[in-house]
Amino acid sequence: MNLFGLIPSFLFVLLASSVGAADKASLTIQGAKLSVSSADGSLLNSQTLSPPETASPVTLGPTDVFKLAFTVVTSDSKTPVQPHQVFLRFYDPKTDEEGIHPIRVTSAGKAKLELNMAKPPLTLPPTTESPLEVTLLLGSYNYEPASFPLFSLTLPVSQPPPVHPDEASYHPLPSIFHTFRAEEKQPPQVISAVFTLLVLSPWFVLLVLWTQLPLSVPHLFSSEVLPFVVLLGAFEYLLVQYWVSLKLPQVLSYGAILGFLTAATGKRALSSLSKWRLGEKQ
Amino acid sequence: MRLLSLLTTALLVGLSAATSSAGNSVLVVLEPKLSREQFSIFFDGLESKGYDLTFRAPKDEKPVILEDDIPAFSHVIFFAPTTKNFASDITPQSIITLLENRVNVLIALSPSTTPLTSLAAEFSLILPPPNTPLISHFPSRPHPPTTLAITPHNGPNAPILSKNLGPVLFKGISHAYGENPRLVSILKAPKESFASDTESDRGSESIADAVEKGGEGLWAGGSMGVVSGFQTVSGARVTWVGGVDVFGDEFANAEALEGVKSGNEQFSKDVAAWTFQESLVLRIANTSHHLLGENYPRDHYTTKDEIVYSIDIERFDAKTSTWKPYSGITDLQLEYTMLDPHIRTALPPIKGAPGHYSVTFRAPDRHGVFKFVVDYKRKGWTHLHSAIVVPLVPPRHDGYPRFLSSAWPYYAGAISTSIGFVIFSALWLGGDVREKGKGKGKKAE
Repeated sequence: MNLFGLIPSFLFVLLASSVGAADKASLTIQGAKLSVSSADGSLLNSQTLSPPETASPVTLGPTDVFKLAFTVVTSDSKTPVQPHQVFLRFYDPKTDEEGIHPIRVTSAGKAKLELNMAKPPLTLPPTTESPLEVTLLLGSYNYEPASFPLFSLTLPVSQPPPVHPDEASYHPLPSIFHTFRAEEKQPPQVISAVFTLLVLSPWFVLLVLWTQLPLSVPHLFSSEVLPFVVLLGAFEYLLVQYWVSLKLPQVLSYGAILGFLTAATGKRALSSLSKWRLGEKQ
Repeated sequence: MRLLSLLTTALLVGLSAATSSAGNSVLVVLEPKLSREQFSIFFDGLESKGYDLTFRAPKDEKPVILEDDIPAFSHVIFFAPTTKNFASDITPQSIITLLENRVNVLIALSPSTTPLTSLAAEFSLILPPPNTPLISHFPSRPHPPTTLAITPHNGPNAPILSKNLGPVLFKGISHAYGENPRLVSILKAPKESFASDTESDRGSESIADAVEKGGEGLWAGGSMGVVSGFQTVSGARVTWVGGVDVFGDEFANAEALEGVKSGNEQFSKDVAAWTFQESLVLRIANTSHHLLGENYPRDHYTTKDEIVYSIDIERFDAKTSTWKPYSGITDLQLEYTMLDPHIRTALPPIKGAPGHYSVTFRAPDRHGVFKFVVDYKRKGWTHLHSAIVVPLVPPRHDGYPRFLSSAWPYYAGAISTSIGFVIFSALWLGGDVREKGKGKGKKAE
């Protein structure tokens, strides 16, 4: 009994909900035709549209004229209506650019669109070579809304959208590498070595000649001369150190000490030398 | 004395700031038409997070938003979308002053024109003509066409909104975006929506008129926004919301679509968290530079030096109200700049050192006053900027290589001369003239 009572009520609920959904009929279009003609009026492309099937892709040249005409009807009784919203949406999925173009519909549901690409409307989005998806949006206060993908449309490439000068700094910027000046070229080391030997060659001549000369240095290791010669050597060593590592103030201070000592020992060495020579002459 | 008390209050405020990195005092300018109870979920949520809410009507004289040009609150909410006359202290100019002082502002708009709608243009938001609310007939839902259910599409890089947010119920106006990159879109209008003042199907003519020559244009499609944020130069955040009802209890408790609960409660929390500097807040903890192989900064570097630059970055964690090292930035860049960047290189995070980013590069062979510049700007995130000026000098006189192979003959010549001089001196001083024949003696004399 309970079970039998339940079934009709269940059916009733189903019926009621389906009635609720069918409360508003949905919108569709019929008799849709599109055509593309060139500037001189010759027909380039003509198709009939039967949504939800999409038409074959459409390409427009810079002077072509595109025409689209259809009638908006209710899906059940096919009575023509004038809905609130009849928009063509041009969308570029690659750049995410979008343009919405409202189509004027008469109270008899007749819609006509003419796009002259010589004077493109401002509602078209900035275009690249990639095709735009064209969708028809139908919305109304009294009927269920509907959207139909119509066709893909390739338009002449337009100016890119304006970009704020600071926009680039909100994305990773291209890397910049510094180009260094080329290292200075050095001549081959062999050539340097040859010329070094050339510079040093007088020493070989001198050494050879020295063997022919009777040389003796009896006073060199005397207490008067040796300190002076050693200090002269030290001066040369200081200059070599200046070249390699020391700084000017250090060189000046060491040089002052050395200079004082060298002057003192030099005076002693030279005076004793003159003494020897004078003594020898006498 | 006054300074001391100021410091202590600043310290106390800093300690008690429970959630926001920018303070917890909030002024809510609520117009008399709206009541606090209408937004109880939103306001109670803020209070439970630790915010200190103060309410005031637009025409009340107190509390003022700016006292002697010093902001009295850390954040200001303007829920006065239809108020045309404010008290004398609330003007577009005073709101700009707030933003300059790093006060964050949340502003709700409505289809009617108010002083705040004229301010929106300053933030590169282009509002539709007055009294044209956003309408969508898609999809069919248990709401009027002016109440939209918007599914949020979160940006991949700036997760202002939580993941898996339900459709957000919205009622109000949309806005078109100018080119300003400081704008960050939080919620965009659905692609089928449009702004219109018509209330029946007969209005379709006037919609078509809008795009004709001389029309005011059509605010339609998915490139429009309904909730948008803006980060000012000072670092403050201002959020523009097309309708105040987004934050209301009614929408928070309603179903967005049949059987789908609205995401408004979480959405308003997320929007407030971003606006009040809780989420996506970064700061630079430390920057340093040194020569490769050293660990102290130099006051100048030499051309062609190998320089190490490193930076530590922290992110604010609203759950614990602390700053934590953040290594999540993958596209940080360092510029070595003298007028123009001479070097721009990636500054990658270092594995094993949280929040530490470092790079080694060779200084260019051009001397001058160079800067290490890190300028990280990404939509939705706090902008980071650091510039350290360190001169780059050419090598000193003793900074060049000492022994070049091409100069060997010169070294040999100079050293020969030196050695020759010492040998000559030794011979002349130590040699004996008389002992060794007359020829040599003559020479020496």
